[in-house]
Amino acid sequence: MLWLFAVGVGFIVILNYQNAGGRVGVMPQHWPKGTFARLDHNRDTLIMFAHPQCPCTRASLEELNRLLAQGHGKVAAHVIFFKPGKSPSGWTQTGLWRSAAAIPGVTVHEDLDGAQARLFGAETSGHVLLYDTHGKLLFQGGITGGRGHAGDNAGENTIISLLGGQDPHLKQTQVYGCSLLEKCEALPAMVAK
Amino acid sequence: MNASASKITALADTISTRTVELFKEQQQSIVKHADLIFARLMVCQWVFSIGLALWVSPRTWTGTQSQLHIHVWAAVLLGGAITSVPVLLGLMQPGKVLTRHAIAVGQMLMSALLIHLTGGRIETHFHVFGSLAILAFYRDWRVLISASAVVYVDHIFRGIFWPQSVYGVLTAPIWRSLEHAGWVIFEVAFLIISIRKSMSEMQLVAERQAGLESLKAGIEQTVAERTADLTQENLERRQAEEQLRKSQAQLAQAQQIARMGSWEWDLLDNKVTWSEETKRLYGRKPEDVGSPMETCLERVHPDDLVRVNKMMAEALRTRESFVCDHRVVLPDGQERVIQGRGEILVNNVGEPVKMFGIVQDITEAKRAAEALRRSEEQLRQSQKMEAVGRLAGGVAHDFNNLLTVIGGYCSLSLRQIEETHPLQKSMMEIQRASERAAALTSQLLAFSRKQVLQPRVLQLNEVVGGMEKMLRRLIGEDVEFSATFDPALGNVKADPGQLEQVIMNLAVNARDAMPRGGKLTISTTNVTIDQKTHFRNRTLDVGDYVLLALTDNGVGMSAEVQSHLFEPFFTTKGLGKGTGLGLATCYGIICQSGGDIRVYSEPSSGTTFKIYLPRTDAKLDSTANLEPKQLPAGTESILVVEDDAAVRRLAVIILRERGYRVQESNNAFEALALIRKNARFDLVVTDVIMPQMSGKDLYDQLKSQMPQTKVLLMSGYTDDALAHHGVLDEGLCFLEKPFSPARLARKVREVLDAPTPQPPRPNNNEAELVNV
Repeated sequence: MLWLFAVGVGFIVILNYQNAGGRVGVMPQHWPKGTFARLDHNRDTLIMFAHPQCPCTRASLEELNRLLAQGHGKVAAHVIFFKPGKSPSGWTQTGLWRSAAAIPGVTVHEDLDGAQARLFGAETSGHVLLYDTHGKLLFQGGITGGRGHAGDNAGENTIISLLGGQDPHLKQTQVYGCSLLEKCEALPAMVAK
Repeated sequence: MNASASKITALADTISTRTVELFKEQQQSIVKHADLIFARLMVCQWVFSIGLALWVSPRTWTGTQSQLHIHVWAAVLLGGAITSVPVLLGLMQPGKVLTRHAIAVGQMLMSALLIHLTGGRIETHFHVFGSLAILAFYRDWRVLISASAVVYVDHIFRGIFWPQSVYGVLTAPIWRSLEHAGWVIFEVAFLIISIRKSMSEMQLVAERQAGLESLKAGIEQTVAERTADLTQENLERRQAEEQLRKSQAQLAQAQQIARMGSWEWDLLDNKVTWSEETKRLYGRKPEDVGSPMETCLERVHPDDLVRVNKMMAEALRTRESFVCDHRVVLPDGQERVIQGRGEILVNNVGEPVKMFGIVQDITEAKRAAEALRRSEEQLRQSQKMEAVGRLAGGVAHDFNNLLTVIGGYCSLSLRQIEETHPLQKSMMEIQRASERAAALTSQLLAFSRKQVLQPRVLQLNEVVGGMEKMLRRLIGEDVEFSATFDPALGNVKADPGQLEQVIMNLAVNARDAMPRGGKLTISTTNVTIDQKTHFRNRTLDVGDYVLLALTDNGVGMSAEVQSHLFEPFFTTKGLGKGTGLGLATCYGIICQSGGDIRVYSEPSSGTTFKIYLPRTDAKLDSTANLEPKQLPAGTESILVVEDDAAVRRLAVIILRERGYRVQESNNAFEALALIRKNARFDLVVTDVIMPQMSGKDLYDQLKSQMPQTKVLLMSGYTDDALAHHGVLDEGLCFLEKPFSPARLARKVREVLDAPTPQPPRPNNNEAELVNV
């Protein structure tokens, strides 16, 4: 029983970690100016901010891939990878970069020193923002059910609904991933909720 | 039947019990094996989880800064915690129920950890199903229940607190946990079915194994029993072989002792095999075994071979057993007598296939039988002689008394009448008749060995030489007589008169055997019977002998005649020409003298009589014994003791006529009374055979009470009281009946003139006589 208790505590700790959302900054409700990403006026535009070294983001990219596959080209996607200014060459060229670049319809960008992230208010890797053709923010948040956890989740379902022309009630979800600009682990538990 | 049924029931119970044991053993073995598998697997999973964490999420980032990802710590610590207890239990307490349930729970928790570390990848969920399948190794459905319970509790817990991590939605009803658990239950259900089937097969295997073990045990028991039986059989066989070897050795020894061997003739192959003793008996070599019968019969004496072959052929023809005595000539020339016995073995159609039997050396038995036959013959002869002797002795006693009276009165009468008296011739005829009758009586006593011998040491050459003239006259001019004497001839102790009688009888027989003339040779020589020649002279003891041989070249005798030659009243001469007592007398005299007489003769080849007399080293006795023509006389007092009144009166008359003072008595008791009453007599003349008290007893009484009194014993024959084997004891004075007046007068004078006997000294022989 002691063993079960200890193991149970351990699981609670990691589950708690897994389901702890990242920090979210102040996001512009309209497509901000000064960004190098181009708003698509023919279809919705999706922007995902990612940390190229964050293991949790792989799940976000997988969900993005699935999402885009279900969107059938109804959305223009951009994945912007954080790049520190003093980072060595190729620091961003990780598996995540390659995975993102391999997703059809995704444009990959480097975000030097997180300038674009700050512009869009994204502070956690995996943060996704969806704008309509007019540059109006439709959704913002994560598209994974937990940190680094692939699979069905509310954020993904919401975006799919939006792309399908529906108007879902949920407009924002928690983002699970590493901090782009600061320590994401330092976030207080259940902040997103 | 009951015992058999009980045995079957007991066997079934044993198998059933053993089945349960085997099933449990197998189950426990599987569980332990699975425990060890999971112990290793979980350690591997733990290591894998660490590697997975390091690969998938090694570090977590905050901008440009990073640190070890919590997943790595989770893999190390939580994975270690999950793994530790099940692995320890699996290694230290394999087979325990708690162990496998701990392992089941740990394995499911490890699945949860791995799913977590892989970011909830659907592929990693297969670890759950794979683990359940592996847990099915335990073949214990309860383990699957424990594992399923962990899965279900996990989903319940997550569904309550983090539904999006399980169901992908922010909120989910509690029943959705059943949807996920349902797939697990689906697998578990089939795994349980599989486990039950597997358990059923295990049960079947256990039953078969129990059956096989029971069969094996039965076989082993049978083998053990058979082995024990074989061991016992081996032991018994070895004992039997040992016993057989002993028996064979004893048989060989017995055959050797009995000089008896066995043989076997294979008629189909004509090969003869034989025992060791048979080989010795026939003087064969070991390599001769298996020789044809013809080779085996090579040693058979040629004179017997035809008969032996004939008997064997007859046996083969009649299929009957046979006995065949035959002689065998050994390689060293020795001749043995073998008795062979054989039987025929026939096959199922009655044809002889084998002849087998024994052979025995019966040489000694034959000799013994021959000796026995001769002994029996001699016994028979002796019994016949004894019977005749008893008759002759009985007759001679009275007959001699009568002849004494007849002859005595004749002699007295002839002296009282003139020569011209008309009765002179008649009286002379009566006297000669009485003398012939006396001679006949003497012969009867002689062959019956009841006559009284008065032996002395003599030289046989002198006896024969003294008879030469008389013998020449006796055998006639047609017969050539020659004598060959051994100058170194030894002395013998015998009655010379009786010896002369023997020689004369043999010479007369030789003459009668040579009616047309011939040659009679008498020779003497010394011979010695030693151990070597004793075998051929069984009637003679080993020692030195004097041989007297009388050989003629007359008509000879057949074996049949020879076998009856010495029987009394047996004669080949015509009626009235022989009494049949001559050779019987010779035989009696020689045997009574301690010797033997033998005859060697063949028809038409003459006859040789050989007389063996014991040689003595004693010196010759004086032979001077001249009889004066005048009858001696005297005046001494004489007591005549005689139960026969006629003889007594004759003796009294003769003695009184010769001037003696004579008194008479008709028995010994009266004589003793008379002697005690009327003072001493110079001489007591007494008959030997008398009723109440014999003359020998009277003699003994007088010798003890009045040793000065001389005694003259008279008898027609003797007995053992007076003489041993007819030879007088030393010191006795004896007058043989019938006697003439002259012989009585001379003998009385001789005894009276002899030196007076010395007072008696203790004498063992005498004491024996008195006691008799």
